[in-house]
Amino acid sequence: MAPAPTTDRQWSTEFDTARRQKLFQNPPKDRTAYPTLAAAVDPHIHSFNQIFAKGGHLDEALKEIGTKVFLDGDPSAQPEDVGRRNRLSIKITDVFLDKSVLPPSNKVSVGNRNILPAECRERHVSYRGKLRARVLYRINNGDWLETVRELGQVPIMLKSNRCHLENMSPAQLYKAKEETEEFGGYFIVNGIEKIIRMLIVPRRNYPMAIQRPSYTNRGPGYTTLGVEIRSVRPDQTSQTNALHYLNDGNVNLRFSWRKAEYLVPVVMVLKALVETNDRDIFEGIVGTADSEGLAEKQFVTDRVELLLRTYKVYGLHSRAATRAYLGSKFRIVLQIPDDISDEEAGTEFLRKIILPHLGAYHITERNDADKFRMLLFMVRKLYSLAEGECSVENPDAVQNQEVLLGGQLYGMIIKEKMDEWLNSIRFPLQEWGRKNEWKLFTSQDFQKDFLGRILKRAQGEDVGRAMEYFLSTGNLVSPTGLDLQQTAGFCVVAEKLNFYRFISHFRMVHRGAYFAQMKTTTVRKLLPESWGFLCPVHTPDGAPCGLLNHFAHKCKIATKGVDVSAIPKVVAQIGVSSKASASLNASVVVQLDGRILGFCSPKQAKVIADTLRYYKVEGSHDIPLELEIGYIPNSNSGQYPGIFMSSQSSRMYRPVKYLPLDKLDYVGPFEQPYMSIACTDPEIVSGDSTHVEEDPTNILSIVANMTPFSDFNQSPRNMYQCQMGKQTMGTPATALRYRTDNKTYRLQTGQTPIVRPPLHNEYGLDNFPNGTNAVVAVISYTGYDMDDAMILNKSAHERGFGHGSIYKTKICDLAEGQRKSRSAKTVNRLFGFAPEGVVKANWRETLDDDGLPRVGTMLRSGDVLAAWHNVSYDQTLGDYVNLDGQTQFFKYKEDELAFVEEVRVIGSETAADPCQKISVKLRVPRSPVIGDKFSSRHGQKGVCSQKWPAIDMPFSESGIQPDVIINPHAFPSRMTIGMFVESLAGKAGALHGIAQDSTPFRFDENNTAVDFFGHQLMKAGYNYYGNEPMYSGITGEELAADIYIGVVYYQRLRHMVNDKYQVRTTGPVNSYTGQPIKGRKKGGGIRVGEMERDSLLAHGTAFLLQDRLMNCSDYTKATICRDCGSFLSTTPTVNEYQRKNSKAFQVRCRRCAKLADNSASKTEVWSDGQGIRYQGGDDVTTVAVPGVLKYLDVELASMGIRLKFDVEP
Amino acid sequence: MSGYTTSGAQQPSTGAAADASTIDIHSRAVSYTCGDCDGDVQLKRGEPIRCRNCGHRVLYKKRTNRMVQFEAR
Ligand SMILES: [Zn+2]
Repeated sequence: MAPAPTTDRQWSTEFDTARRQKLFQNPPKDRTAYPTLAAAVDPHIHSFNQIFAKGGHLDEALKEIGTKVFLDGDPSAQPEDVGRRNRLSIKITDVFLDKSVLPPSNKVSVGNRNILPAECRERHVSYRGKLRARVLYRINNGDWLETVRELGQVPIMLKSNRCHLENMSPAQLYKAKEETEEFGGYFIVNGIEKIIRMLIVPRRNYPMAIQRPSYTNRGPGYTTLGVEIRSVRPDQTSQTNALHYLNDGNVNLRFSWRKAEYLVPVVMVLKALVETNDRDIFEGIVGTADSEGLAEKQFVTDRVELLLRTYKVYGLHSRAATRAYLGSKFRIVLQIPDDISDEEAGTEFLRKIILPHLGAYHITERNDADKFRMLLFMVRKLYSLAEGECSVENPDAVQNQEVLLGGQLYGMIIKEKMDEWLNSIRFPLQEWGRKNEWKLFTSQDFQKDFLGRILKRAQGEDVGRAMEYFLSTGNLVSPTGLDLQQTAGFCVVAEKLNFYRFISHFRMVHRGAYFAQMKTTTVRKLLPESWGFLCPVHTPDGAPCGLLNHFAHKCKIATKGVDVSAIPKVVAQIGVSSKASASLNASVVVQLDGRILGFCSPKQAKVIADTLRYYKVEGSHDIPLELEIGYIPNSNSGQYPGIFMSSQSSRMYRPVKYLPLDKLDYVGPFEQPYMSIACTDPEIVSGDSTHVEEDPTNILSIVANMTPFSDFNQSPRNMYQCQMGKQTMGTPATALRYRTDNKTYRLQTGQTPIVRPPLHNEYGLDNFPNGTNAVVAVISYTGYDMDDAMILNKSAHERGFGHGSIYKTKICDLAEGQRKSRSAKTVNRLFGFAPEGVVKANWRETLDDDGLPRVGTMLRSGDVLAAWHNVSYDQTLGDYVNLDGQTQFFKYKEDELAFVEEVRVIGSETAADPCQKISVKLRVPRSPVIGDKFSSRHGQKGVCSQKWPAIDMPFSESGIQPDVIINPHAFPSRMTIGMFVESLAGKAGALHGIAQDSTPFRFDENNTAVDFFGHQLMKAGYNYYGNEPMYSGITGEELAADIYIGVVYYQRLRHMVNDKYQVRTTGPVNSYTGQPIKGRKKGGGIRVGEMERDSLLAHGTAFLLQDRLMNCSDYTKATICRDCGSFLSTTPTVNEYQRKNSKAFQVRCRRCAKLADNSASKTEVWSDGQGIRYQGGDDVTTVAVPGVLKYLDVELASMGIRLKFDVEP
Repeated sequence: MSGYTTSGAQQPSTGAAADASTIDIHSRAVSYTCGDCDGDVQLKRGEPIRCRNCGHRVLYKKRTNRMVQFEAR
């Protein structure tokens, strides 16, 4: 037995320097010390694990796909000519995803054949494993034959159950070249870390009352009202069914299949589901005949009568006839084989499309009855909505939403690709038939050819490539659309700019790309329903504001369903009836995961909800703790009442304390609005509150929790800090050596903040420091501090304050742009100098013998990065020979100076090819310069405006000089009191050598933060309020006012002038207009637009305008004819006697000239390029005009419009 | 100043016309570090990229032993 894990997992606010040092030097061999951090990415990993788990998404999906049937013979032949056709049945029974290993073609590696993720990052390839499927097929009713097909290499999520890193201890992770706290949850595609974003989708299996103006576009008579349900199959694919209310009271059912919409009368579906009659349907919708309140239900009874009467025109009476009718209409759409009867096709239609959450395969009578009852309930709710008895529900509220997890989407795509692959066997089958005179499936030839010639040729077998495409582009290529509203933007790069940004990617949830284009802002609103599930602070400002949210740090997402088999019995014991009464006041519905358990009185409903809640927290009666009991009480035309329980995956839920038992309970967003959860213990109202929050900070995301004293700040400042925290130059990773990110920022002198919440340690953020503790004085001192500028102490800078580097990886790939082929014989370029060619000395300055850069060399723009030459393979020599003796180069093209940090020589998977790719990591030093951006943790950003000499800095009585000076004007309008408190706390913490707890909501009016930290300061012999007398560094005189000085944690932001500055006098121009092009990268200019022009004019600086808009732009000398005023008619003369490059050429106007006659004197005659002789047209002059003017003239001329210019003087 | 030395056997140059140093470069093996076992790997031009010892497919170039000198300003 393994020894019990001993690594301590309890953390506090303390610095714990020695403990962290030990953890870092000797990564624990048992378990991670930061379980909370690993738990933050659980939704990603667990949802991926569910795909291939036993009974997971793919197992369910294979059952849903079922058996595909193909028929032999000429499809165009008449049925009577061919007789009974042979059936080829084919199905997939199992799918396996292997771990990432070397291909069998690699014969050199004998020991460990695993490919670890770190190798994939370094080699810029994908981390993937082989996907195999066991395929069974048979002809007619023969024996099933088995074959295993390889479906390509599918990218694997890190730390999932298909990854080598799963269950590795920090010590093992460190050995595998990963972070010791690596938590996975992402994929590696071409060396880039990609994650599938979580997406908000409508809540599953809940019929939502919706009002949408666009519903009227369905056709005449359609109203804006409808009831929609997103029905989710066990494999997590979904099918939306919607009921539309028509003006006359009719109800139609709408669904989409393969991106096309279809409408069916709801009664037809009802009658197809079960053997029923009009009376049953009537009573199912209105209520039993003897129930109370039937008399007041005139509205509904009228409409149901009409509903049933209008259906009579179809003349379909039995269930069989209705199914056959539906089957005949939908058999083509559903691709149902020809030899299936219409009735069976109708059954298939009901299975696939109508409420598949109540049965997606192996449909029983009970499944159909459940579907029937649910559909009746939906009609009932729709009429109730139309009558005004209940209100519409808000699809933008978290209450009616759930989360589509990455793993679920991934599984859905794999399912669809396999389905498509099986369907596509049709085409090679037909082709085979055509070529072999429609031989029968029973023939010998077919059996011989099927595996090798037919199955192999089916399109779409390479599922792996499709998945890699999906991850690398984020585009969904799907014939069905997967019931989603968007086709792009599913995947994003998990940028490791710093750790805040990286971890935020995993807690991010997007509302959907569709909503980004919406002009209304309703979808972006922060609604009270989100409390505790989505962080109210952590959303970007600007375009994605409110659409891109982050989960509160304690919010969990269910990744698999819980066992609810005991619930129907418990509910039945408490008491429900199977029939509903007419009035909502008499009976309300009880549902479990979109299945109707029964009806009961509103009073009874409350009892059921309360009892179940007690049981579930208590853990008795087999009621799972994670169950969500959505009890909606009766109200005056509010939300439709009832009990709606949900137990399946994708739900958000969060921990709170259940007061009656004083135990942990989980609540979901659906039930929360009708619950009374106190925020803090003093807020508990006896007799009302059932729950209390564990901690008020549970509503904030990880990053928002790191803002110290955020409850003191104006709320937008906290939002800005969440943005800026993610743009900080910090420590992206500790395994930087084994990373090959395109661009990484690194802060050399990171420190742990003195002021931080305990969560900082719990999430292990000290492994990735993000800034520096700085002594900050709030004073207007140098004159260089206007408008959010800050002054840096030059000595602080020299000691390394904010010093950073950028690491860039350049890939030199010889095979790039060449046709990809596996064989080593196609190598036609090699690194190195051409063997027979000359090697210049200056090439050798940066390059080594092998033609690769020397590690440590300084590179300047234009220096050579790697040498290569063309080769061809010589069979006789068995070697690569170079014929041309030419050496070619990869060059370093950027302007900035860089140092070669690492050079990676990359081999192929087979380890048999010569070097075709190297990756060079360059380091660009970036010490802070004037113009670089810094910020505190309170949305107070500023630009460094001067590095002020330390001798001239003000100093306090104890001789302290500030590292940073900021202007007092930064505070009044922004009201970031949190920064003042941080300054106080930081100062006291530094003086006493303690870490300060900065958790928000810890202080109140009776117990203030100022008092708490003020007393600490007093103890240390400092002023209670944190301000001190200071002396001018220049004159040595005491300053008239006391200066507020303290310690604030400063972040250096990644926006640096060196990446931004843009200057130009001359440079590249647009070839059409002659005006400067735009873009910093290309050396272009910045537009001087109309507003800039106006302000220059207002300043009377017309000559500046002349310079900007003319001389530095498209200044052109143009020849113009004074007579006709045209640019276009002037032409240079060609004198046949003159030498060609003689400067004395003249320009004449051809339009004003006449053909020369013989009488003209020789001096007046001129000739054009064709040698035609003219005379006259000599009133031509040169003017300076903008180049575009000539262009305009040409454009207008092409439309038959002439411009005439008067030239004066 | 050229303190650069290569480990590995040097092939005697037989070419008459070619510059001696040119021949040198191409026949000389350059040594790399294996990304997995940290072993020394000697590779010549055109040889497959892999560690002789463990078969790993990523090799690191060693830091140059030539003098690296920058002007400090
Ligand atoms: Zn090795």
